[in-house]
Amino acid sequence: MRKQPDMQELNAFVDGELDLRRQLEIEALLVDDAALRAQVEGLRAVRDAIRGGADYHAVPAALQARVRDLVVVPPAAAERLSKPPSSARAAARRWFAWRPLAASFGTLAVLTVAVNLALLQRGHEERLGEEVVASHVRATLGGRLVDVQSSERHTVKPWLSSRLDFSPPVREPKVAGLVFEGARVDYLDGRPVAALVYKQGEHVVESFVWPASGNEGRAAVSLQRGFHLAHWHRRGMAHWLVSDLNPEEFASLVRAFEAADAAP
Amino acid sequence: MIDEVELRRFESLALPHLPAAYNLARWLTRNDEDAQDVVQEAMLKAMRYFKSFRGENVRPWLLQIVRNACFSWLKENRHDEVASMADGHDDSLDLVAPASSEPHAVALRNADRAQINAALATLPVVYREVLVLRELEDMSYKEIAHIADVPIGTVMSRLARARGLMRQALAPPAAPALHATPLLRAVERPAAGGADR
Repeated sequence: MRKQPDMQELNAFVDGELDLRRQLEIEALLVDDAALRAQVEGLRAVRDAIRGGADYHAVPAALQARVRDLVVVPPAAAERLSKPPSSARAAARRWFAWRPLAASFGTLAVLTVAVNLALLQRGHEERLGEEVVASHVRATLGGRLVDVQSSERHTVKPWLSSRLDFSPPVREPKVAGLVFEGARVDYLDGRPVAALVYKQGEHVVESFVWPASGNEGRAAVSLQRGFHLAHWHRRGMAHWLVSDLNPEEFASLVRAFEAADAAP
Repeated sequence: MIDEVELRRFESLALPHLPAAYNLARWLTRNDEDAQDVVQEAMLKAMRYFKSFRGENVRPWLLQIVRNACFSWLKENRHDEVASMADGHDDSLDLVAPASSEPHAVALRNADRAQINAALATLPVVYREVLVLRELEDMSYKEIAHIADVPIGTVMSRLARARGLMRQALAPPAAPALHATPLLRAVERPAAGGADR
């Protein structure tokens, strides 16, 4: 004779938090017990109502900025920065005294800025690539690849949208053996981003997406610390794809992602 | 003092959970301004303690700090809310389920956003807390127990009670009467029939 579950146990049953044996026992009880089924149905209705209906409060921009400020500048540097500058007049006097020398420095500075601007975009993308790989490695090693585990993109998309200030495209590229595992929210380029997780056999493939402007065009591919990276811009979104697949497989994957992304 | 390396580690590991931190604080304080202040303070604290963080999962660790900051704030500014719940006395109270939850289930499926938000917002804070962690953050019982600093058994009883209270709040007043009617009839009919004969 199986023991009738109490309300606490039924809640844990609905949450999938019972041990497997008891979980199966209650499932078996439900088959013949309409009253118990109705109770479970009621609990699921409460759960779904909250999950689907309660607000997920988005971080206000002001708080986002305040917290950013906490981590951007180390406390010691912040102290130095906050010291009041010497008087403007003294600065102006010094400027005139050094004018001839300053002029030549000025020319040099203009040249340096021009060269740096050209390199800046490249440097930014390289740094982003490093961030993407670091994030990918962290998630793989930490064993927490996904915060929402579902192969159903209609489940994943609203989950992501409710946690981000944008709605990321959730694509299912047509690649044999590629399985959609779920998603999590990560932090790249100084903002929360969507991380979509796929598996190709034993290899983890991650696609990071966030709003960013850039030239639309073919994917740029690179290699960092043994990971293949591809990135492109489409419809105001930056896309980064990272995996440890072999180069041929990765190339066909990139093509499939690009194709899925180009589809309306 | 926190060094640059530690700061970057904090930035990449803890900052992604800022949305969860704010959502929890917003639900516990029920006020945007206060939630922002509490979260900022909690993030500062988390940054300071980050060196001592040894676990694998930053999320529950950070949410615990945010949760404690919220409860300190509540104790200072909403004393009544916390005082009545602090002993956890009614945790043992088990809500008796109605014989049939069917009408409830239907009413619940039809509840709109405003009703659900209002019902959740008016729950006592310890029940609101477990529901937000469970339903909006999808935390496991073990993680909730860690964050709220209570045994798993308490998490279970609070969740059961919290869902019961939500069901009561969301099922419109007509529903309990509706489902009470068949029970009453079952009692009255034989008696009435007997009197007729």
